Amino acid sequence: MKLRLSSAILTGKLAAKLSRVCGYGGSSFPGLLARLFYPGALKKLAAQVRKGIIVVTGTNGKTTTANMITGVLQEAGFKTISNREGANMISGITTSFIMNSIASGKIDCDYAVIEVDEASIPEVLNNLSPRLVVVTNFFQDQLDRYWELGQVIGIIRDSLLGQKQATLVLNADDPLVAQFQRTTGLPAYYFGLAGDKNPGKRDPAARETSLCPFCGSPLVYNYCHYGQLGAYSCPDCGFTRPRPQVEAMEAGAEGGYNLTYPGAPVPSIALEMQTQGLHNVYNALAAFSVSILLGVNLQTILVGLRKYRPAIGRMEKFRYGNKQVYLNLVKNSTGFNQGLETLCEDRGGGDVLIVLNDNFADSRDISWIWDVNFEMLTVRQKRLGCFICSGLRGEEMALRLKYAGIPTGKIVTNTSMNQAVKAVLRSNRRSTYIFSTYTALRPVHKIIESLVEKGDKSDQGMPSVS
Amino acid sequence: MIRACHLYPDLLNLYGDGGNMIAFQKRCRWRNIPLQIINRSLTDTKDFSAYDFVFLGGGSDREQKLAASDLMKSRDRLQKAIENGLVVLAISGGYQLFGRHYETGDGKHTPGLAILNLYTEAGGKRLVGNAVIEMKLAGVPTRVVGFENHQGRTFLDGIAPLGKVLLGQGNNGKDGLEGARYKNVFCSYLHGPLLPKNAALTDKLIRLALKKRGLDPYLKPLDDAFEQRAHTALLDRLGLKVN
Ligand SMILES: [Zn+2]
Repeated sequence: MKLRLSSAILTGKLAAKLSRVCGYGGSSFPGLLARLFYPGALKKLAAQVRKGIIVVTGTNGKTTTANMITGVLQEAGFKTISNREGANMISGITTSFIMNSIASGKIDCDYAVIEVDEASIPEVLNNLSPRLVVVTNFFQDQLDRYWELGQVIGIIRDSLLGQKQATLVLNADDPLVAQFQRTTGLPAYYFGLAGDKNPGKRDPAARETSLCPFCGSPLVYNYCHYGQLGAYSCPDCGFTRPRPQVEAMEAGAEGGYNLTYPGAPVPSIALEMQTQGLHNVYNALAAFSVSILLGVNLQTILVGLRKYRPAIGRMEKFRYGNKQVYLNLVKNSTGFNQGLETLCEDRGGGDVLIVLNDNFADSRDISWIWDVNFEMLTVRQKRLGCFICSGLRGEEMALRLKYAGIPTGKIVTNTSMNQAVKAVLRSNRRSTYIFSTYTALRPVHKIIESLVEKGDKSDQGMPSVS
Repeated sequence: MIRACHLYPDLLNLYGDGGNMIAFQKRCRWRNIPLQIINRSLTDTKDFSAYDFVFLGGGSDREQKLAASDLMKSRDRLQKAIENGLVVLAISGGYQLFGRHYETGDGKHTPGLAILNLYTEAGGKRLVGNAVIEMKLAGVPTRVVGFENHQGRTFLDGIAPLGKVLLGQGNNGKDGLEGARYKNVFCSYLHGPLLPKNAALTDKLIRLALKKRGLDPYLKPLDDAFEQRAHTALLDRLGLKVN
């Protein structure tokens, strides 16, 4: 047994070295190979994690939440491993464990924080037996791969049934997530975001009706933050937003958030973050909840969250001359809308570049761009400079903008990513917002890096290109 | 004024189908054709005799079922309006509703509105991918592009298809037909959404809606450079020469 494990590990490590030499970025290959050698490799490695494994899943925010948790645990002095590079299917996760082990098959760590692709949950849970399972949210995403959201949720629920050792950390504001306590019978700890003081801004979108996960009746909302996230209740069966243990209050225009939790030393704790957007508040609340559950002390948690720097393409900040440049990965309409809202709140205005690819990892179906509310840009159109569209489906992106009401004179399509990035940086607004789908993210990131001045990079806390 | 009804915009909205309404609306507005859009969902009264154009998109099984049982209550009025020339665009799940019955992914058999002579059965593998069909618009063979993603296999019983499949699977992956046509009803599995990239089809629907209202169906030409570029770029990418 020992021999098989260590030969599987050696094979994996060798494969990692080889694929690096050959210039392949893919980090799932070593794990794939190791699993072929010894299918039990992941389970054996995971069993050695001393204090427990934290699994993070859901549609949006997995990487950010996992990285925030890892940051806090490392701040607290725990030896923590993670699949930071976002290789979140079974092979990629196996790779992360292999790369953190020595050849004999030993892993030396207190915690493992692992983000998991929704579809890979059954296999991963069986191998990892996590102590905590965080579920961020569920949105329609990459349909040609996952079929329907309901099926994905069913698969996750069924595989949680076998995880008696696990505690769930759930988003109370998402009815699709909050249903898990009842459907799995596992203990649950909830986080959530209290009502908005300006309810007019984020009314439940007239075009979306959320159905009760238990009885199928349309849910009624007191308030709604975005998508189906908010304070819901079912008029028929009584299913309602659970009261969250960790709850943030939206503060004034400054963008600060205060939160409360049971056992807090003061009634309201100020949460400081370097990331923008409501979705990142949810990510921080999830990370906060996990840290509290693991007994990390409050000061350490707050410091850890304050230090968190966004990963590649999560509203990642660059500086180009006097310009602020933001790079944002977009995977589905919910995430894209969040990014656009940040752009709309930028008083200096901005130029926009959208790179839309339709490779397998992006979702081959690009219909979802028609669900994105680009119409919100039209009222702020005067503050927005140019709209450059690139990528394999750049022409379609340009068409979407035209139908959203952006004047065609402002829309440019440029199939060369290189020229497109240069053109948007040359434009004259104070900020540049770059939105990119998955397979274009690294190429775009590389182009930006080659253009921004070196001296400015460290100031901005640039994360490493992993 | 054209009166357009978007049926179940809150339930049948799975694949960006709302873009069809956006395209219809914008192409009316750019020509100064007055248009009223009426959203109708569960429990709303649906006055089909008062509409010129009705649009239905696709939804997941549960949502589709809710919409189906609600629409069943106004089935006869809908059928009568269709016989009187109501223009309808139904995509995917909305398309299936018009047949005699349909089966969802889990194999459940649900009666449809039985307004069109067709039926849908659950298939094995989901039919997913870019698709191109050829249909006649004003007598001219026209390529229509989109993206299909459906489990159901639809079979036509002596009713006309929307077009023939040049690339992709179409209604059932077997007979080379895509969608359905009956009077002014247009059904298709093509998302994309269908209308924005296929401006000629959108204009056809607008012309029919104007006629239905008793108005002059003449449409002022628009600058369709963006539409054509998106259409052509996809055909190029799929290796199909533009005709
Ligand atoms: Zn209910």
